[in-house]
Amino acid sequence: MRRVSRGWLTVIALFTILSVILLTPTFTGGNLPGWWKKMFPTRGIRLGLDLKGGIFLQLGVRVDKALHQELNTIGETISQQLKEHKGLIKSSDIDNDVLTINFFSQGDLSKAREIADKNFDQIADIKEKQLSLEINLSNNYVEQIEKNAISQVKQIIENRVKDFGLVEPSIQRAGNKRILIQVPGASQADRERIVDLIKKSAVLEFKIVKDTAPDKETLLARHDASSEEQLEKQGLTIHPGKTGNENEKYFLTTKEAGVTGEYISDARITFDDFGRPAVGFRFRGEGATKFGELTGSNIGQRLAIVLDGIVQSAPVINDRISYQGTITGNFTTDEAKDLALVLRSGSLPVPVEVQQERTVGPSLGKDSIEKGKFSMQVGSILVIIFMILFYRFQGFIANIALTLNMLFIMGFLSAFGVTLTLPGIAGLVLTLGMAVDGNIIIFERIKEELRLNKSPWNAIDTGYARSLWTVLDANITTLITGLILFWFGTGPIKGFAATLCIGIISTVFSNVIVARIITNIFYRGKDIKSVSI
Amino acid sequence: MQIIGPDSNYNFISKMGKAFKISIVLILLSLGTLAYHKGPNWGVEFTGGTEIHLKFQNPITVKDIREGLENDGFKPQSVQQFGLAGDNEYLVHFSPDVVPFERIDDFQVKMKEIITNVPIFKGGEVLRIDYIGPEVGKELIEKAIMAILLGCVGILIYIIFRFEFGYAMGAVLALLHDTIITLGAISITNKEFTLAIVAALLTVIGYSVNDTIVIFDRVRENLGKTSSKSFNTIVNEGVNQTLSRTILTALTVFIVLIPLFFLGGAVIHDFAFTLIIGVVIGTYSSIFIATAFLVYWKARERKRQQQQTQQTS
Repeated sequence: MRRVSRGWLTVIALFTILSVILLTPTFTGGNLPGWWKKMFPTRGIRLGLDLKGGIFLQLGVRVDKALHQELNTIGETISQQLKEHKGLIKSSDIDNDVLTINFFSQGDLSKAREIADKNFDQIADIKEKQLSLEINLSNNYVEQIEKNAISQVKQIIENRVKDFGLVEPSIQRAGNKRILIQVPGASQADRERIVDLIKKSAVLEFKIVKDTAPDKETLLARHDASSEEQLEKQGLTIHPGKTGNENEKYFLTTKEAGVTGEYISDARITFDDFGRPAVGFRFRGEGATKFGELTGSNIGQRLAIVLDGIVQSAPVINDRISYQGTITGNFTTDEAKDLALVLRSGSLPVPVEVQQERTVGPSLGKDSIEKGKFSMQVGSILVIIFMILFYRFQGFIANIALTLNMLFIMGFLSAFGVTLTLPGIAGLVLTLGMAVDGNIIIFERIKEELRLNKSPWNAIDTGYARSLWTVLDANITTLITGLILFWFGTGPIKGFAATLCIGIISTVFSNVIVARIITNIFYRGKDIKSVSI
Repeated sequence: MQIIGPDSNYNFISKMGKAFKISIVLILLSLGTLAYHKGPNWGVEFTGGTEIHLKFQNPITVKDIREGLENDGFKPQSVQQFGLAGDNEYLVHFSPDVVPFERIDDFQVKMKEIITNVPIFKGGEVLRIDYIGPEVGKELIEKAIMAILLGCVGILIYIIFRFEFGYAMGAVLALLHDTIITLGAISITNKEFTLAIVAALLTVIGYSVNDTIVIFDRVRENLGKTSSKSFNTIVNEGVNQTLSRTILTALTVFIVLIPLFFLGGAVIHDFAFTLIIGVVIGTYSSIFIATAFLVYWKARERKRQQQQTQQTS
């Protein structure tokens, strides 16, 4: 005589309902009624690029800017060293990968030539032309700069996209100046966010505010300048503002940034005193020192927080701060989250431009997906038949438990936003095979106990009890590997590990609890004479 | 239904010596083929390749493109629809074996010829050809290997905690044995080492440990019951008692894998191949490596104890 444990029954029922809710968007393909969208999740299982495709972005990396920066540095180095030797540069000019420096006298030119030969002989071809020096970067070096710029950009974008969620993007360099990105699935809203995340240079600068005005002209007039160039000579610059204040559409700030975002060690979303989303950040090492100096020596003034050339906010400095700060501004929660993310991943060394943004189909091709699906269905049906052939009624119970197990696993995958790829699904089908293993261990044990002439209930009880630790030990060891893989793995390996861990936990639950409860349901209140096994 | 009768009593212990030799040969063979092929045959995810962007005038299927290109000697790695269905645009990837980096200019000319000459491609054009870098770096593999080694340590600790050191060593040795031999099988058949294969290998590791633990658990349970029988007899009984389960489980996994192997298409086929090899080796090693090591370790321990008692007496 048995009763069914109410507690476990409720748990199973809850999991079932939860999984069904989580999976409904997957099976209806987004055609959900309005009331559903208000109450329940609308995102189903995220399918990988191989199964569903997603968005494709072709990014042009402005490697020319990297060359420009390099030549600029070379020019400045020469100018500075020349000054130490009491020489002077007349002007300099950068055209593609050639830097031309003009001089007033032959003497200065010769000195500059000496400096250039000493420092840049390895990387550039240096020529004299009348009163100017032509520095032509060697092809090898140009290639190296381009390569470095692309790898840096690629790395940063990779970090950004990966940080965005458990998506498995494909990011590849193409040729010498392009990066190709594919991100699976992605709804229209996600799409805009992802493109934004990728494009954002995320150059963060902290400057001191000198003046504000509703337009540029007012600022220029107030400071006796006819152009922005003149202001720059005074060490000042103009930035548009995004603080929402009509009188602060333009900011006049110091030209040089006291600190930049390169020293940020961590950035997270927080909320300001009014409960509005903001971004909190921390500085490391040198950054903290610099930030301390900047704030310490400008107490009472306003600090302009400039992101990609736009002033986000300009709080008054009340105190010296070194290690941490907050960027407030008119952000939505998503914007604040994304800003924190790009600040964490670092700024792009050179700008990128989105040259093409398109939808792409599955990389596997429909024929391969159909074949894969069919083979998995055949496999699953064969397992179900096998179980009934071998274990009759108990096999039938195991099949119910297996079906529930699959349902739970899919529900959890959907809840955790794990990206499912074709190998991932094949792995799941294999989980099904392994889940059967738990049932086999238990059933074989029950059979053994029955052979010892134990009563049916006694055999079922001892069968389950004696195999409990076997099932647990076997699965915990695999779970350990799964967790470590999740911890250390990257990209696809992490996704695989997540699928594995979820599969194991759900399988153990279905083996030792669900199958047992179902057995009790069928046999409840009866004094069974024999077990169909 | 039953496959193995309840009183099966095969003498596994006596065959362990021979099995050990077979394993050594298999491992050497695996390491040999890996060395000969200079490591695994890295898939396009790891090596990069060539990507072309095609646009056609008329609707065309992925299958047609694949077959059309293959007939002209350029077997695509993948054909992916680009843009919306009505755009008739496709991205096609080629592995470096098909289009080497140095010959990308020749390929460009060749491709234009193919597009103009093959009837089903009529009116199509090549919009872009790029040599693309790898999708995932090899550091992914380095990290995975690190994780597996750490996983081994984790498994060792857990089994030492639940059983004893001899059991733990046995399970980990079996795991390494299975991984190396499965890798060898992939290498000897010269299959591409893709991300799907990496996933399959990780699954094999899980299976291997799982299978071993079930036998160990039974051995330990039997040890608790009797004290009159010798350790080897108890181990042999344990293996026999779980034999039915061992074979049934391997069989179920096979039932899943066989359709994947024969019907699953190229990607799934290689995945299933790796798992089939892994399951066979994993089942074998649970008995002939893991359990065999346990027997060997106990025997050594006994000998040491005897020597100690002799010394003291």
